[in-house]
Amino acid sequence: MAPFVYSTLIISLGLGTAMTFASTHWYLAWMGIEINTLAIIPLMTQNHNPRAIEATTKYFFAQATASATLLFAAVSNAFLTGGWDILQINHPLTSTLTTLALAMKIGLAPLHSWMPEVMQGLSLLTGLILSTWQKLAPFCLIYQIQPDNPNVFITLGLLSVIVGGWGGFNQVQLRKILAYSSIAHLGWMILILPFSPPLTLLTLFTYLMMTFSLFSSFMLVRTTHINSLSISWAKIPTLTASVPLILLSLGGLPPLTGFLPKWLILQELTKQDLAPIATLAALSSLFSLYFYLRLSYTMTLTMPPNNPAGTLPWRLNPQHNTLPLALTTTTTIFLLPATPTILALFTF
Amino acid sequence: MSLPTISRVPASGLLRSIRDLRWLLRSIAPLATPRRALTQMGYRRPGQPREDKPPWWRVKFDFSKGLKGMKRHFTLLKEEFFAQFVGPMGKPIIEHMLEQNQVLWEFRGPHSLQEWTISCDREIGGKSEVYLKVGRNNETCLLYGTLCSDPPKDGETRYSGYCTMRAKQPLASFDRKRYHDWSSFNTLHLRIRGDGRPWMINVIAETYYTHQKDDMYSYFLYTRGGPYWQDVKIPFSKFFLAHRGRVQDDQHELWLDKINAIGFTLGDKADGPFQLEIDFIGVCKDYAHTEDFAYEKYKRNPEV
Repeated sequence: MAPFVYSTLIISLGLGTAMTFASTHWYLAWMGIEINTLAIIPLMTQNHNPRAIEATTKYFFAQATASATLLFAAVSNAFLTGGWDILQINHPLTSTLTTLALAMKIGLAPLHSWMPEVMQGLSLLTGLILSTWQKLAPFCLIYQIQPDNPNVFITLGLLSVIVGGWGGFNQVQLRKILAYSSIAHLGWMILILPFSPPLTLLTLFTYLMMTFSLFSSFMLVRTTHINSLSISWAKIPTLTASVPLILLSLGGLPPLTGFLPKWLILQELTKQDLAPIATLAALSSLFSLYFYLRLSYTMTLTMPPNNPAGTLPWRLNPQHNTLPLALTTTTTIFLLPATPTILALFTF
Repeated sequence: MSLPTISRVPASGLLRSIRDLRWLLRSIAPLATPRRALTQMGYRRPGQPREDKPPWWRVKFDFSKGLKGMKRHFTLLKEEFFAQFVGPMGKPIIEHMLEQNQVLWEFRGPHSLQEWTISCDREIGGKSEVYLKVGRNNETCLLYGTLCSDPPKDGETRYSGYCTMRAKQPLASFDRKRYHDWSSFNTLHLRIRGDGRPWMINVIAETYYTHQKDDMYSYFLYTRGGPYWQDVKIPFSKFFLAHRGRVQDDQHELWLDKINAIGFTLGDKADGPFQLEIDFIGVCKDYAHTEDFAYEKYKRNPEV
């Protein structure tokens, strides 16, 4: 892709998200989301292969449907309440419709079915942008919706945690596993949103860090299938040690950073007398932990039964800049002891 | 006495302002059978009358056949359900993690021929012949026949002379498509014995759009005549994209996660008998082969 076009698309991605962040009017927020969608479409079709085109088409259909629903909800809200302000979405019908539209945008269950197929058809870098950057703008809007009845959020969150864990159970493609992981984590974020929005933000930032480090690791060893993880020790041995820790952090095991949001969410849910829901969410996250452990086992604890005549890949110096990976890996693994500081930062 | 039917257009003097009278005649003509788009129609042999029957007219309804079908489909559904407890695609995960070779088709009896279909230019009016049978001792399959390049005399077809053998699309319960997932592997491994003719191996991957349904990825298979078997290993990075037999300018690598079928085609314009014996067809992982794609993907002769 020509550098000028590439930079225009990247700037448009940033512009769309920034517009949504900065807007108080539903129309401007919707425009920002649309700019985001349209800017990522050419990035997804950079490689002209059928799977990428299929992924782009499915992504476009899902996002266009969600955008149309969102605009309809905003217009209906303006009709019913007389206001276009994002914070003034008081009518239960429009509030629910907006929530569902934004849930489809970010891939929450039961509106998640586009996500694994779309991720499977993309390169790891585009998949990273889809899993991280493209979630910010819709999340900004979800964060500002204050529903009277939290049942919609609880249902969406619980379903996402269960589906995200169950769906990734029998997957061998890494991109699909990461898609289901994304769905599960989004479920945790949405589950706690009605009760403690700062915790949602904390979970979101933690998830962004962990996902970024995992995607970057997979990009470095150039692997998209569980089978090729087993020879990654021959490519970059250091990653073989750090990726299992990132995966276990994603699974929410102490003493890694990923434990922090899950612990605080379960604590908050228990305080809100929702212990059964907290139990169900915690048990469902065991499914996710299972496939994270499976990836760790393949990468670190398994040696492939190579043929004697076969050769292993060369250990070449990585061409990519590994500083972001180093920073995010460190924060993914070692941030739990800083819990009081983080809590002070997010509780306002 | 029956009323006269209107079958002609009113006098042209009254309709001078209408340039094309055929669209007017269409409104009073009998309603034609809806025609499907070109991409959806099957092959129509040149010179044959067009078949305008809807698809359901060709189906023979049979109650006992329906019952057998239901039993078969529910049995398959049950097997698929319990296979999920074994692992992805019914294989334990440890196999997915560690597999380096997989035999996909091995011809060990007449039942193995049911997964294949053969075709030649006889369907378009040509004179070639192709047959498939089990080889000696039920250990191999033998594709044999006679190639004839004489084009059919229908006034349309200019070239002819091909024979092909293709694997059938694997189907899950209720005739849902199932795909081969070869993403753990990077090389096609065949054990064959030919007669010196050059064949074409075609891999058909799953596509999304209708206009891509004739896309296939091809590579050459040169057989050595003689009594000795050939072990052919072709990396998947060597397969190039063709549509209806025409090699495309915009090339991309073959994605191995959803493969529908594999096929062998002979069209070397050398009339006469041919034979190809196949022991097995499999895939393997060659760690020494790190090439992603063998051909140029960037745009040649870009517009300025």
